[in-house]
Amino acid sequence: MHIPDVLIDSRVAIATTAIGAAGLAYGLRAVERRHGARTTSLMGMMAAFVFAAQMVNFPVGPGVSGHLLGGVLAAVVLGPWAGAVVIATVLIVQCLLFQDGGLTALGANFLNMGLVGAVGGHAVYAPIRRLIGGRRGVLVGAMIAAWFSVLLAAGAFTIELAILGDRHEFFRILSWMALVHAVIGVGEAVITGLVVRFILLTRPDLIEDEPDSVADEVAHGMRPGWLASVLAGLGIALGVAVFLSPFASEAPDGLEFVGGKLGFLPEEETPPILTAPMPDYQLPISVPMAAIDQIKLATALAGLTGTLAVFGFAWSLSRVFAPRGSSSGKVEFDGV
Amino acid sequence: MESDGVERRSVGGLLHRLDARVKLLAAVAFVVAVVATPLGAWRLLGGLGLALAVLIAVSGASPIRLFLRWLGFLALVGFLSALTAGGLADRAHMSWGLVVLNLLVKNSLAFLMMLVLVHVTTWPQLLLAMRRLGMPPVLAATLSFMDRYVNVLREELERMRSARRARWFRQGRDLSVGALSTLIGVLLLRALEREERVHAAMSARGWDGTIRTLED
Repeated sequence: MHIPDVLIDSRVAIATTAIGAAGLAYGLRAVERRHGARTTSLMGMMAAFVFAAQMVNFPVGPGVSGHLLGGVLAAVVLGPWAGAVVIATVLIVQCLLFQDGGLTALGANFLNMGLVGAVGGHAVYAPIRRLIGGRRGVLVGAMIAAWFSVLLAAGAFTIELAILGDRHEFFRILSWMALVHAVIGVGEAVITGLVVRFILLTRPDLIEDEPDSVADEVAHGMRPGWLASVLAGLGIALGVAVFLSPFASEAPDGLEFVGGKLGFLPEEETPPILTAPMPDYQLPISVPMAAIDQIKLATALAGLTGTLAVFGFAWSLSRVFAPRGSSSGKVEFDGV
Repeated sequence: MESDGVERRSVGGLLHRLDARVKLLAAVAFVVAVVATPLGAWRLLGGLGLALAVLIAVSGASPIRLFLRWLGFLALVGFLSALTAGGLADRAHMSWGLVVLNLLVKNSLAFLMMLVLVHVTTWPQLLLAMRRLGMPPVLAATLSFMDRYVNVLREELERMRSARRARWFRQGRDLSVGALSTLIGVLLLRALEREERVHAAMSARGWDGTIRTLED
């Protein structure tokens, strides 16, 4: 979702514009160092692709449709900073030519979708990919990263927007945004996964740092033991899901703290800066919970189920890469 | 080489002929002024609105089309204004409705100004202006490269989609998620392969990463 003009506080707009400009300058330099004179055609074509792919509407339900965002897809294919530069290019065109996203919110939008979405998404992708290894690692990593990029971008969006508002309101909005985007993120993960799988089956050499293990896989089969990979992947997935609960419970406190410091919120109690993420949820059975706690719990549960669902789906999609076995080599896509 | 802007054609008119740098800077200044206007400064907003109205009249943009574009974004802006107005209203000691109205008016002014800017300036002119005003040349080159290929890829996608639909022996008009994703995958492949060819062709003609235009 693109933030329009006026809706974020001027201070937030100035700060995010500065961060966005610095991030873009760094990203451009990183990409140029790597691709040299090819930067223009590579980034330009990828941006044109993302722009075109965003026009494909996926049927979600009656009257509802969604589309690919593409930040993680671009980052998986070309690398994190390339992903950010591609997103920046798309955002600039959307802002200037189509007035989608405000001029003064361009930095904020780039921060959410490019820096948090693509670079942050790649940060989730890289370790998962390394741990699982091979083409399966690429696919599972890309899907989980796609899911998280949507959630993280939504979180950043809410913080920028609601830093102005009443903090109880903010808390509710953040939880609802996380819930809604946990669902939207699954869509992004599925589309990203299917596209990445297609590329892995046809031209795996196009993926950034071509999975060295594609050759390995052919030679030795899956590198780590099967069970080990499953456990590793699940462990990461769950670890990352727990990361969502503090996102639901602590972020507003952090904001309150900042708000109190900056003097735009009344300072009542000094909230702890660092607390364990779980105490809020301890044994909710006997204690009657306030509605807000239910939302928190629902958000944490959504995070958990979402991660598990995306992981399970990614794992089943990646079965085509299993080197030998009953269903191996059965390629189910049909090209056009 | 540059494809003509998306839906505009450069025709006469005073504003069309003005240096794109002046127009861009003026529009940015206007938007910043609108954003910086404090809540409840209705007179200032009125003045800015009046200036915008004059500009729209001079620009020759069709007010109906502007209005329809504005209407398209109204739902989103209204929803977000309603969401953020609560805290603002408390601090500014204004009623919630007035704050929402204020945010809507400010957003509309900024939005319409950007719309007028692209109405009187073509995309290549705007890009050149941004480059002369200090946008990194790589970024400007990337933006014009994207502009060159975005419609190529969109048409390619449309062709693939109708070909697929023609062979789609199932009920219902929509392709499934799987089929649509495969289309996107094929498009990504074709885009990257096209980029390889285009880059080879550009290198053969001496491309070294710097754009040179006749205006320079």
